[in-house]
This record gives sequence, C-alpha cells and structure tokens, in this order.
Amino acid sequence: MEVIKFENVYYSYDRETVEQEELFDLHDSFALRGVDFSVKEGEFVAILGHNGSGKSTLARLVNGLLSPTSGKITVFGMDACERRNLFEIRKQVGIVFQNPDNQTVASIVEDDIAFGPENIGIEREEIGRRIEFALRSVGMEDFRNGTPNRLSGGQKQRIAIAGVLALKPRVMILDESTAMLDPRGRKEVMEVVKRLNREEKITVILITHFPEEALLADRAVVMHQGKIVLEGAPKEVFQKQDILERFSLVTPRPVRLCRALTKGGLPVADSMDPMEVAVGISNAIERVEPSQILQTKGAGLRSRTNTKENSETGGVLCQDLSHVYNIKSPFETQALEGVNLEINSGEFFGIIGHTGSGKSTFVQYLNGLLKVPSAEKKYKEKKSKKGLLPKPILKVNGFDLTDKHTDFRNLRSKVGMVFQYPEYQLFAETVWEDVAFGLKNFRPESTPLEVKEAVKEAIQTVGLSYEEVKGRSPFELSGGQRRRVAIAGVLVTKPEILVLDEPAAGLDPLGKEEIMSLLHKIHNDWCKTIIIVSHDMDEIVENCTRAAVFSEGKVLVTGTPEEVFSQAELLYEKGLDIPFVAKVCAQLRAKGIEISCDLTLEDFTEKLFDFAKNKGAGMRLRSEGGQNHA
Amino acid sequence: MREVAFGQYYPGNSFLHKCDPRSKILFLIVYIVAVLLCQNFYALGGCAAVFLLIAICSKIPFKLLLRSVKAVLFLFLFMTILNLLFTEGQTILWKWNFITITQEGVYFSIFLSARFFLLVLSSSLLTLTTTPISLADGIESLLSPLKLVHFPVHALALIMSIALRFIPILTDETGKIMNAQKARGADFETGGLIQRVKSVLPVLFPLLISALRRAQELGDAMEARCYSGSQVRTKYKKLTFTWRDLVAFVVAVLLLTGIILLRVYTPSVL
Repeated sequence: MEVIKFENVYYSYDRETVEQEELFDLHDSFALRGVDFSVKEGEFVAILGHNGSGKSTLARLVNGLLSPTSGKITVFGMDACERRNLFEIRKQVGIVFQNPDNQTVASIVEDDIAFGPENIGIEREEIGRRIEFALRSVGMEDFRNGTPNRLSGGQKQRIAIAGVLALKPRVMILDESTAMLDPRGRKEVMEVVKRLNREEKITVILITHFPEEALLADRAVVMHQGKIVLEGAPKEVFQKQDILERFSLVTPRPVRLCRALTKGGLPVADSMDPMEVAVGISNAIERVEPSQILQTKGAGLRSRTNTKENSETGGVLCQDLSHVYNIKSPFETQALEGVNLEINSGEFFGIIGHTGSGKSTFVQYLNGLLKVPSAEKKYKEKKSKKGLLPKPILKVNGFDLTDKHTDFRNLRSKVGMVFQYPEYQLFAETVWEDVAFGLKNFRPESTPLEVKEAVKEAIQTVGLSYEEVKGRSPFELSGGQRRRVAIAGVLVTKPEILVLDEPAAGLDPLGKEEIMSLLHKIHNDWCKTIIIVSHDMDEIVENCTRAAVFSEGKVLVTGTPEEVFSQAELLYEKGLDIPFVAKVCAQLRAKGIEISCDLTLEDFTEKLFDFAKNKGAGMRLRSEGGQNHA
Repeated sequence: MREVAFGQYYPGNSFLHKCDPRSKILFLIVYIVAVLLCQNFYALGGCAAVFLLIAICSKIPFKLLLRSVKAVLFLFLFMTILNLLFTEGQTILWKWNFITITQEGVYFSIFLSARFFLLVLSSSLLTLTTTPISLADGIESLLSPLKLVHFPVHALALIMSIALRFIPILTDETGKIMNAQKARGADFETGGLIQRVKSVLPVLFPLLISALRRAQELGDAMEARCYSGSQVRTKYKKLTFTWRDLVAFVVAVLLLTGIILLRVYTPSVL
C-alpha cells in the first residue's frame, strides 16, 4: 500500500524567500520541479542530494509545513493540500529535524515527550504509557527525568525521535537528523531508526548526506535541482559513479577504493563493507597474474601535504595542562587532565575526540581564550604545597602562555582560530567589513590601502571573487560561501598557526572536500601550521601529517595516522572509529597480507599494486611448491 | 562541555525541596505579608525564628544564602543610612552640623534593615530550593483560574518553559560568539561607554540572528508535533499536594495569626 504519493509536484518559495534561496544555485525560484514519488508502507527510503537539491522541501511538503504550488500530494489517502487534513496527517507522519537543540520545548525529558500527545488530547495515563514506550524504543529509559541540556547530541536526537514516536506515527521522516552529530551519535541514531523500521514497522524516509546511512535503506532516491534523477537499490545507486558526480554527489570512499583497484588491474567488486573489500582484494591478488597489474601509481586520489621545514615559530609545546570548569560548584567538571602534546612547525595536525573529550577546551588555550592561572593579570604566586599539580608549560608560536606579561593580542593575531560553524559569527553589513574586522582590531595603525589589500588577498585565498562579494551582505550568501568568508576573516591577519574546530561540520560531502582542499591551499601559501579538530577519521587520515586522540581530558595516542590507527582496540574501547582503509588493512593482515602504508587511499592502492606484483608472486610460488611436494 | 550553572537552584533532597512549588510560592506570599505586618521587634523576631527553622530544614549552606544578600548590599546600606539620618525623634544621640542621629532613627533603621534582610533571604530560599521549571509549573497552576476570563494561561506557561529551555543554550552561544570575536581581536573589557557599547554589536547581532533561526526551526518542530495553540490540550504533569504541603499550610496560618495578634496587643516602634 502506498502511504505517500507525490504526483507532478512543483514548489516555489514565495518572492521574499526566493531572495534568500537564490544562492542555493537555483536558477529559477522552483525548489521542486515535477516530482513523482511514492513510498510504500513499511519501506525504508533514503533521499540523497547536495544542499539545495530540494530534499528538505520534499519532507516539509509531506506533512503540510509547506504546501505545493501545483501537483498533488496524498498521504494515507488524504489530500495534504487541504488544511483540515493536516492535523490527522501530522499524527501519522513525524519529522525529526537537523538541529538537536531546536526541537525540544521543555527542560525535562518526559515533559518534552509529553508535548505531542498533549497536543492531540491524549488522556494522562495513556501519555504516561506512551512516554515509557517512546523512551524504551530509543533506549533512553534512564533519562526520563533528566534535562536535555546535559545530553550528548546523539542522545538529544534520540529524545527528539521519542517525542515524535509518542504520537504513534506510521511514517517517520529524518531530515538530515545526523548531520550535526559525531560518529558515535550518528551510530546511536541509525541503530534506533533501523530498529523502528524492522520491529515497529514504521515507514522511514531518511534524508542524508552519508552514503553509509543510505546503504541501510531498501531504496535510494537521488535528487538534483528539484527533480528525482536516480532511483534504485542503494548499492546499485552508489555504483553509478559518473552519474553521481554529475549531480554534485561524491562517491563513497570505499567504492572509490574498489574502482581505483579495478582500474589498475586488480578487479574488486564494489562494496562498502571492509570485510567484503578485504576478501575481494585477497581473491584478486590470488587470481591476477603480476603482469596484469597496469599501474603502480595511485589512481589520481589526493595525497597528504608533506611536513614543511622546521622553524622557530609555528609550533606548540604543551605539558601538564589541566582545566576544571565551574570549580568548587555542584557542576564541577574536569575538562583537561595533564595534557602533554607537541605540535611542530609546518604540520597539518589533527585532533580527534568525542564531544566532551576536552579537545575544544584545549584549542581555546592555544590562543589565550582560556588562560593558565599564572597568566592571569590578578595572579599572585602562591607557595605550592606538596602533591600539587606540576606547573604547566604552554608555548605557542614562540609565546610563553604561562607568563602574564605575554602580549596576548599579538598572540591572537598570530594564532588564528576558526570555531565550529564560523558562519554564525558573521555580523557586519558587508563581507568586506566583516573580513576587515580582525585586522582593524589587531592593527589599528594600518593604512586604508593596507587594509584593502589584505582583505582582498584573504577573500581571494578562500576562493571567492573579491569584486563580486565585497559589497554584499554575508547573510545573502550560501552556507558554504559564508563559511569561507568567516575563514577569510581569520586569515586576514596572516596567522602563522591556524586552528579550526570541525571545519567541515554540517557540509555535504562535496562541500567537505572543497573545504579540505582550501585548507591545503592555505597551508601551502599562508600558514605554517594547521591544526584541525575533527571526528571524521577519514578526514584525518587523508589530510593530516600527525594526529592526537583526546579522551576524557587526556591525550590517548599521538603519532602519524598510521601509528594512531594501528591502535584500533584502544580506539574502539573509547568508542571511536577507525578509517575505512585501516579496517581493510586489519582484515588483510588477518589473511596474511601485510600492507604498511600511511592509510590514504592513494598510498594504499599504490602499496597494494606493489604487493600484488611482488609478494603476490611469492605467495603463488609457495602454493605451487606445496603441490609439487604432494 | 561547559555546564552552564543556571538560576540559583541548589540541588538537594530536603523537606523544602520536596514541597509542592505552589505551596512554596503561596507560603512566601504569606510570609512577606507577615513580615510587612510586623510593627515591633517581637513580631520580627518571630518571623526570623520561622525563617531560621525553614532555612535549617532546607539544608542550604548558610554562606550560599548570604550570597543573595550581597547582590543587594549597596541598596541595603543606602537605605539604612538614609533612615538613620532622616528619621525625626526626641532623643538626640549625636549632632554635628545638619546631621542629627536620634534614638528613634537608630531603632527604625535597624528595624527596616532586618525586615528587608528577611524578605530578600526568604525569596532566595524559594529560588534556591525550587528548579525554575517547577516554579513555572507552580505559577501556571496558580494562574489557572484565570482561564475562566480567557487569559491564555497555557500559552504563558509554554513561553516560560521554552524560555527556560533556551536560556542555557543561548548563554552558551553567547560565550562561543564572544570567544570567536575575541579571537579576531575584539576587546570587551576596555574603553569608554560608547566604545564598549560598540564592541557588543559583533556579539549581539549574530546572537539575534541565531535566536531567530532557532525560533523558526522550533516553530516548525512544534507544528510537526501537532501543536496548533487553539485545540483542547491535555496536561500530562499534575502537581499534587502531600503532607508536607499541609505542614506548610499550618505553619503559614500559625505565623499569620501570631503576627496579627502581636500587632493588636504589642506597641509599635514605628
């Protein structure tokens, strides 16, 4: 039975909104242009598409948050364009949105879950039962009387799902509900969604950027410029690399790996499962004659920037750094506990860790937003008692951050800091003024011409056209462009160290790749050292020269990506993931194929080809030798 | 993650913490009336004794209670000195130029200070032992008779609830934006008044935009969960009175009668 049916649906945002949406690359004002789409009862459908492709519009049309310009939408046999049906439709179709903070109305979990049932006039006792059911379904029974503020992103989203479940819907739409979560949160939410679909028989429409998530669905739908352009089983959809790229979607990393290997003469069937890929690789190595290997160079995948020369500035030295929030209050929390870390000049350094691992606290120390007690103006040396914490050492870019006489303003102009979602910090009337803000603050003595030149250079460095954007309001730009403007606003003082907290968070895969290549460009031309905080392991592996893992306020491991991710057990234990290539490597090792590489796709394929040419031959020799003996 | 310590609430499990918020609010009102009815030190002493009893029951550290007085200390001193100087009376204790201090003035200023002190302390005892959420619940419930005159009590309660939910989020966000602008060289601590007002703009503006964006998204999420504001809603959470509230009621009645009796039968210092 079809529960949702779209027939030739068009949707246009009204004039006012069009002006904002224009920059989403829509050449006309239509967000949906003739969509025919249906969902069967109990189905799990994934909708993919780059930002602005119309997928969120689709979700909002289903339950009447928007109504179509033309065309027909039927939900459970009811016309979604009729206002009087909306109440009934919304009872049947729940939506979970992207931002976990903007969906809860109450400060206590059970009150928030009760909100939906209260709205439709359910009896008190029944609401109690529904709260219990909803919390059990998302595995959050223990948090019934807790407050959402103290939960992790993943837990907050599970509460949001519970809030929708309490209405007993038959369809659940997740509108990029995992986009703002870390990998652990994403996994939690996806497990819940999967279970709801299998056990509670709830129809699921999942709007996502993540190929791994789309693979869990029965059917994947790709949208582009307001139209459905591709439809099919997720596995098949992801194999159509050329088509996906045409629609600004990125082929998932595992598929790219398989493709590169096949192209080079090692035929490996496309798969997203590290186990299957490893089996494919070992079979291919067995089968293929060494002479059939065409390539020994990787198949055009980007490799890491190498470490540049060492010098005085650009480095970080940190020893015994500790930090406690809300000291001597009931809310006291230890954020850092004796952190030791050294970052050399010229590195592209990665900091990995969960929300709450202390990584964000640590980076705030790097440019003096948080200060070591001895660097405070009021600080007076106290006689230290025995057993007291050792005095921390913190040197950044040649500045001693434990000394109160340090010029912190100068430090901040040399150590640039780009926070999470930096586009939300833009404030000025024009892009030009916003970018110039930092420069005017740090160097009020610079001449207008100097400012103009610096701003121009910064805007061009982040890949925007100076003439085109300088006079525009930052709020007219698209999300990705705004992020670039925000980065330009930090670059404008020419910092020697650039620290970025989750620079790619919330972007679609293509946007992520663009930001990362921008950072490499900045690393080459502008800043000596780049430090990124990230929880995307593939991002770390593909880009960083070295990385450190933070956990519970301490540094767990430091080293090259290879050294860090060889400690898979330790990382798993802390609830962290390892990159896809590292998983395949581990599987191959179990099969006796020892590949040592720096874990980028390019290096891995190269080493595999080498292996197939040399050691592969050796393996065959051994097995032939065995036959002779018999 | 930084925990935002919000409101004055001090977590605990005492008699006072467990009382129904409605009875605590009503008790505070009765108590304020009683303190204002006091005419002399006997009556005020009675009120103070009741306060001490309640404060001990609440198990709130005394230091914390006194902190609430600190906030109004300036006002407190100003009032005391004013009363000391400008109360007329017969018994002159000290005279210098136009400054005269009378015995009546001394009594009066001590009396008023003590009264003020008790009012501030008792109000902060309420906020220390009651979470903002249950305070809001209590207020909603106490206002519910106003529904009869079509006063939107429920909407008011929802507004309070959402405000409470978003205060910590926006506080956190303010901190983040301030940090980001500080990292770009913004200075919030030095400069004259105009300079400082100007320096707040780069924080205020993004904060406002973010709040509007959040409001839009929250509106969508609420609508998607069948909220329309007009239909008949049920309410899941019901406040229930327990024996504790009966105790509070008895104490309140005794206090009020006692004070009224004292007012009738003892002389006034006023």
